[in-house]
Amino acid sequence: MSGIFDKLQAIDRRVFYWILFVSLMVPFLYPIGLPVSLSRNTIDLWEGINPPNVAPGDVAIVNFGYGVSAWSECHPAVTVCVKALLDNDVKVIIMGIHYDVDLTWAHLQDTASAYFATKEYGVDYVYLGYITGAEPACAQMASDIRTVYPKDAYGTPLDDIPMMKDVFGWEEIDLVLSSDTGDWGTYFLRQWQSPHGTRLAEIGIAMLGSSAMPLYLAGNYFGLSIGSRGGAELEKLIGELDEATTSMDSINVSHILVVLAIIMANVGYLASKRKGGN
Amino acid sequence: MSEFLKREAVFFVTGLVTVIMFIEFFFFPADWSIAETLRLWGIIVYNMSLGLGAVFMMRNHSKNVIRKGSNWQFSGWLIISMAVMLLTGLIGYAFGGAPADNSIYSWVFTHIYTPLGATLYAITGFYIFSAAYRAFRARNIDSALMLIAGCFVILSNAPVGEVIWSGIPTIGTWFKFTGQIPGMRSFALVAALGMLAYGFRALLGKEKGFYAGVSSE
Repeated sequence: MSGIFDKLQAIDRRVFYWILFVSLMVPFLYPIGLPVSLSRNTIDLWEGINPPNVAPGDVAIVNFGYGVSAWSECHPAVTVCVKALLDNDVKVIIMGIHYDVDLTWAHLQDTASAYFATKEYGVDYVYLGYITGAEPACAQMASDIRTVYPKDAYGTPLDDIPMMKDVFGWEEIDLVLSSDTGDWGTYFLRQWQSPHGTRLAEIGIAMLGSSAMPLYLAGNYFGLSIGSRGGAELEKLIGELDEATTSMDSINVSHILVVLAIIMANVGYLASKRKGGN
Repeated sequence: MSEFLKREAVFFVTGLVTVIMFIEFFFFPADWSIAETLRLWGIIVYNMSLGLGAVFMMRNHSKNVIRKGSNWQFSGWLIISMAVMLLTGLIGYAFGGAPADNSIYSWVFTHIYTPLGATLYAITGFYIFSAAYRAFRARNIDSALMLIAGCFVILSNAPVGEVIWSGIPTIGTWFKFTGQIPGMRSFALVAALGMLAYGFRALLGKEKGFYAGVSSE
């Protein structure tokens, strides 16, 4: 009997890889489609980008702080937020601090194509492209956006872009949505939200959830979307089930398997310990 | 002279920049041109450091290839990849206005970099699965509590948790909203105080690690 418990603790890692690989195939072939309940932080984000919290003509910055590798976690939520902002006639400034920003921008134009089709570049939205410079760049954008971005990503000076003519810094920006795998949410917090009171929300990967949650509860972020789950919740709120909702099936399978693996290892460990093993 | 540049000049510049930023924060809420100029210099230096990093990376990997050091084949791949992206990107920029206007650059990004990037991130799921099995053991009360909390949080993140038992999201949300917040806040406060102390020590010349990699007094 103790042999079984010992074996339970010493399963080869390749077995787990295969179990996960095969298990993840199942929802691809037979979608599960369990309902997704809404979190308070996601609802607050959704309400914060919709009337009465935004009005036509407001200006929003959407920051791409993630690369291709985090598309599955951040991009669905960003897509829904941009859709909502465009739908509410908010002027959207899109920028990015990740070198994949051009790819992400192209992907967004694809995932929110129906919404961009009804809007005009330079009048309703603008794409500024990639910047480096970390927190000083973030601070300088608040002071004077033209010193960091004299032109948009296509080489047009900001003064020649209709929606940017009267946008110079934090005073003309009504809200910032920072989507991150790293620190830019806190840069915006320190350089925009805290000194100037700019409304700020975070769309982060799941790993950022625990560090962003205290900032959301303290009111620094008016809303917070965490990982692909946050994206699925936002897709439910906008009524367009898409990529994140689909990914919930694989999240279900993988999370269940992780918990089962933990239980299995601990059953083996505790039983061996009771029998006098290590 | 070099000692002066290494020590006193670094302390002087650091101190001056800090004082200017303090003055701007407390007395010039509508932005101060001197502080703005310094921030722009900071951005320029940051960008220069990126360029410098690329140059040093090329130099080190070239040396590794020439000497046939450890894993020199990977160094070779790195140099080839960097050269291809740099050249095609520059051609795209020169003739089309953006690097992506070059079809080779665009193809490599879309068909090689994108799937590789997504794969790299997805692979971590397999490691987490295996690591959770090997590392999460209830060796004592503390680790048992962490395990239980972790399982509730994991299951509350997935819609299936709610299907298994309606109490799972409630408990998981309690851990996420209430249970972890005091710890994270304490951590943030202590880290902020630590940063303040570090800043003062740096300004007083007691912290040398930030400029020359020398251990502090």
